Amino acid sequence: MQYLTQLLISGLAIGAIYGLIAMGFAVIYKSTGLVNFAQGEMTMIVAYIAWTISTTVSGNLFVVAIGAIVAAVILGLLIERVVMRPMLGEPVFATVMVTIGLAVILRSSINFIWDAYPHGLDVGFGRNIVRVGNIGVRTGQIAVIATLLVLLAAIWAFFRYSKFGVAMRAVASDDRTALLMGISAPRVHAAAWAASSVIAGIAGVFFAISYDLSPAMFQLGLKSFPATILGGLDAVLGSGVGGLLIGITENLAGGYLGSGMKEVAGFLMIIVVLMIRPFGIFGERDIERV
Amino acid sequence: MRTGDYKQTYGELVALVDSPPVWLWSAVAVAALIVAPYALNAYALSFVTIILITVVGTLGLNILTGYTGLISLGHVGFLVTGAYGYAVLVSKYQMHPLVGFLGAGVVPAIASLIVGAPSLRLKGLYLAITTLAFSFIINTVILEARTLTNGARGIPVQRPEIFGISFDSDTAFTWLCLGVAILTLFATLNIRRSRVGRAFVAIRDNDTAARVMGINLHAYKLLAFVTSAFITGISGALYGIYLSFVSVEGFPFLLSIEALAILIVGGLGSALGTVLGTVLIVLLPEATRLVFSLFSAQMDALFSTGAQELKSMLYGLVIILFLRFQPRGLVGLWHDIRRTWVHWPLRY
Repeated sequence: MQYLTQLLISGLAIGAIYGLIAMGFAVIYKSTGLVNFAQGEMTMIVAYIAWTISTTVSGNLFVVAIGAIVAAVILGLLIERVVMRPMLGEPVFATVMVTIGLAVILRSSINFIWDAYPHGLDVGFGRNIVRVGNIGVRTGQIAVIATLLVLLAAIWAFFRYSKFGVAMRAVASDDRTALLMGISAPRVHAAAWAASSVIAGIAGVFFAISYDLSPAMFQLGLKSFPATILGGLDAVLGSGVGGLLIGITENLAGGYLGSGMKEVAGFLMIIVVLMIRPFGIFGERDIERV
Repeated sequence: MRTGDYKQTYGELVALVDSPPVWLWSAVAVAALIVAPYALNAYALSFVTIILITVVGTLGLNILTGYTGLISLGHVGFLVTGAYGYAVLVSKYQMHPLVGFLGAGVVPAIASLIVGAPSLRLKGLYLAITTLAFSFIINTVILEARTLTNGARGIPVQRPEIFGISFDSDTAFTWLCLGVAILTLFATLNIRRSRVGRAFVAIRDNDTAARVMGINLHAYKLLAFVTSAFITGISGALYGIYLSFVSVEGFPFLLSIEALAILIVGGLGSALGTVLGTVLIVLLPEATRLVFSLFSAQMDALFSTGAQELKSMLYGLVIILFLRFQPRGLVGLWHDIRRTWVHWPLRY
């Protein structure tokens, strides 16, 4: 029983990270109709910037957090303006290929700007272990689960109540009509990229705090695909929940079926979901079967 | 004065080449490749071999991405299953190399059925995601299936001997690759001009219209995917033989991106474009290295330490720049030049 609870809790913690990255996918998909294959790389870059801030400027938690968020916003806006905006109106095939090209560039830039060795991001928090009953949990793991829940609520409120959130939903559902209503699509896209970069960046920083920082971190993006497919590519909140489910599944598979299964479990889930419910648990039924 | 290419019969529309000089130039190119091993040193010859092997693999991906318009991010998965299919049959069970090549095609084809059947029912980017997942799953599967694949230790592969002809020397192996490349080129060109190929292109251009014209979308997409995996597997076997050692590390994920970069640079859906793109992309890292080494020795050192990273950066840049400024690729550029040449000083 204790083994199971331990697996469940560490599954929730890694699942929260997948969930955050998956929300990043969904925010971009919802407002631009694109699958952003560079999401994992954006996660990694923000984490590395946070690490640089912590080692050069100050290891204070708040300085690192604010620095990372500002860096993430700049990264998202930069990518949107320089790489994605010129592709506006091009076929989806071309735009998606551009995100793949971007992913490869960002991934290899790590080795030139930083180095190929693993690092630990130390902000004086997150590594100490809290005992709940007889189960040890790291504070960083608790913090990431809490952050996911807070962000889920905040994003729900944003899309429901704020004017800009409604504009984003309008662009997602019909960009031409939205344009006729006076909504600027480029601005919505820019906001989506910035928001997605921030959400993914938070995940990256938490991952670096609880585990470690290495050039292989972009694989988090790959492992978050199952989460967003399960939750629904166009469901921001669903993707967050999907992440938790995938994290638990992965950990249980790893704990009871062997470590090879842990790597593969999420991807097997994709295939199962696509066969049974291709639009995901929370997605809208607009997936065309042709 | 010639005013353009007018096709007046259906026969002309499906002809293999649209003008006789193409045959002549192709024959010259093949002749040049046959004598190349005698004229080039071993280092240059290795590039020729790599280009020929890569042409086979990208022609396979071209059927899927160029003709049918579906993205696969995990074609390296079929490359590695093909290589293992060959290595297990030939090195472990001492089968005939031709059986090995057949296995190198059939094993990835079966894998592609498993991946493709659920994801190709849907419209959109699902195939890209599932193939991406596949290329990572297959590595785990290979490492776990130790009895068959030796796990992380890999399988050494000998150069084959087919019907008494030994392909042991570099020269002979280049000819083998040339033969396979020419066969693949003819195969894909003939697929393109047949009923099946026209169905693929119809799906790419407008899937709803294709459906209305009676094309079974699921079956044809799956057929494109399986054919593509089969050809890519053959290329994987050749690559395994070239490396003389088949292991998971020999087939990095970057190869998938390289193949897509080749298609985009060359021009999607064109066999000529695939060949041009392969030549450019395979030689690009080497050419960049030469250019930079002219400036400073420091850059040269950077190239030898971070070769893999620089390669991926170049591929990423090339993908983005071509999509932005020349979406029709080198073939589009060539068509524009040819048109200007014929019609100058008129616009068209």
